[in-house]
This record gives sequence, structure tokens and C-alpha cells, in this order.
Amino acid sequence: MSVLPLRTRAALVLQREVGRFSSILWIFPIVFILRVLMRYRVKNVAELRKRHRALMKENDGPVLICANHLTMIDSVILAWALGGSWWYVFHYRRMPWNLPEYNNFASIWLSRLAAWVTKCIPIVRGGAREQVSGVIKRVQHLLSRGDTALIFAEGGRSRTGRVQADSPAHGMGRILNAVEGCKALCVYLRGDRQLTWSTVPARGDTFYVDFEFFQPESLHRGMRRSRDLAQQIVARLARMEEEYFAGRE
Amino acid sequence: MTREEIFTKVVEIVRPFVKNQEALDSVDENTNILQDLKVNSARLVDIILDFEDAFNIEVEDEDADAVNTVGDAVGLIAAKVPS
Repeated sequence: MSVLPLRTRAALVLQREVGRFSSILWIFPIVFILRVLMRYRVKNVAELRKRHRALMKENDGPVLICANHLTMIDSVILAWALGGSWWYVFHYRRMPWNLPEYNNFASIWLSRLAAWVTKCIPIVRGGAREQVSGVIKRVQHLLSRGDTALIFAEGGRSRTGRVQADSPAHGMGRILNAVEGCKALCVYLRGDRQLTWSTVPARGDTFYVDFEFFQPESLHRGMRRSRDLAQQIVARLARMEEEYFAGRE
Repeated sequence: MTREEIFTKVVEIVRPFVKNQEALDSVDENTNILQDLKVNSARLVDIILDFEDAFNIEVEDEDADAVNTVGDAVGLIAAKVPS
């Protein structure tokens, strides 16, 4: 894993610490919007958080959250579902770094600032390879320091409404390949009224969330290993999705 | 293997992924794989893995970061193929 320039590392520390000290100012308003204004609910949320907290307590190392992706606010809902507001205030490194698409929020300086404070590292999907690679290296660096990051396993929102097992995000495998001891937290998230992909979930929707924790292994090396790891993650999410739909029938 | 032979083989490997077939007719080492040939960025990984199979080489993710043009790919392969 390549070492980031000092300036980049310092910028990430600054971003994290500003976010940490201002976390009370933004975590609670976001949860208010989700719970009160949007009236979202998470099934078995208490049990889910208990499981997640116990898991994080047992595993102190780097964790890459690998999730399916159907709406533009999945990362927010997912973080809220896995940990309560106060838990994140006191376990800030477990608040996942996110990689939102730059073009979705870059036009307004206020949204750029909000993204910066809330642990976002913008990425241009399909953009210049240097930019994409630079973002991946930053995430690798953060994870190697024990932080948590979230990446969508299919790269973008599924256009079919189902996990697209044939299009794993290579960057995900690349991160897991490069960061020693990094484990994957595969999270399947879906609103009961979420038939396909959309901008935001329907108001009042109730979310099913489940997760599995594992360390993918591969006998391959180099890029092929990264691809293999990414395929294992997306295959697992596809199976979790099958279980979700089987449970609904 | 000469650079010309590698170039010819690289173009054949890239061909099925190219959306802009016209650009492929005038392809040279300066042709950008993503921008000129309109290859989907997600497919670039498949292309490089096909290079691995075709030339019996191993490519690291960081090596692949430097592949923007057909010439970059040829250079990467030429550096790894046993002479």
C-alpha cells in the first residue's frame, strides 16, 4: 500500500477532527430529519444495533462496510440503522467515511462543506483514473489507521432494483486487497416500499437491514485478487437479497 | 515479442469493449482507451485481466492506474513480458 503525502494525511486528520467536534451539531439534525420529517423506521433496530456494537467491540481493526445501493441516501440510513446518535458521538471512528459522487453535490458550496464535515470523500465515478485511484488510496490509508468506510458494492445505484452480481465495484476489492486485516461488513438495506432504484425512499418507509461480517480470502494475486474479493462481496449481498425476498413470501 | 506485436494484440483484446468503433479504425498509441474509444471504466479491469491471460503476466492495481492510452497498456505489457 502506497504512503500518502503528508499534506493529504494532514487534510484527512483535519477533516475527521472538525467532523468529530461538530458531530453533535449534525448527527442529531440528520436523525431528526430521518425519524420525524421522513418518518423512516428500521425493523428490529435495537437488536440490530446491539449486534453491530458487539461486533465492533470484538473487532477493533479496519472495517469496510460493503452495501447494496438503491437510493441516494442509503449511506445515511445505513449509518443511522447500525448505530445510534450518541454511539457515533462517542465512537466517531465508526462513523463511516463515504464516497459520494462529486457531481451530485458539487454545484453548491454549502453541500460541499456539509459533505466535508460529514466524512465524505468525493469521487467522480468513471472519472480520471488518477482521481479515482487517489480516493481509493485515501480510504486505504484511513482504514489502515482503524477507521471505517462505506462503499457501495455495485459502484452505483442498481438500475434493476436487485443486486447486480455481475458488476462488482473493483475499488472495493482493491481496498480489501491492500489493507492488511481489513474485514468486510456486508450490509443489505431495503425499504419495504422500495421496488427499484430512486432518489430517496418513500416517506414513512420501513427498512429491513441485515449484515454479515467476514474476511474474504483469495488464492489469486494482484488485480485478479482484488476482482475475486469484490466478486465474493457482491455474491454475498446477492444471497442476502434472496434471503430477504424469501422471507417476505 | 516486439512492441508492434503487443500493440496489435492489445487492440484485438480491447476491440469487444469499444463503443466508438470509428476511433478504433484510426487507433494509435496515443488513443485514450476511456475517452477516445469510449470504453466503460468498469470494463477496464476486464481488459487488463485479459491482458494478464493473453500475455501471461501479472498486473498490480497500482500498475493499472497508469493505463490511460493504448500506448500505456503496450508499455506496461512490454515491461512485464519476458524478452
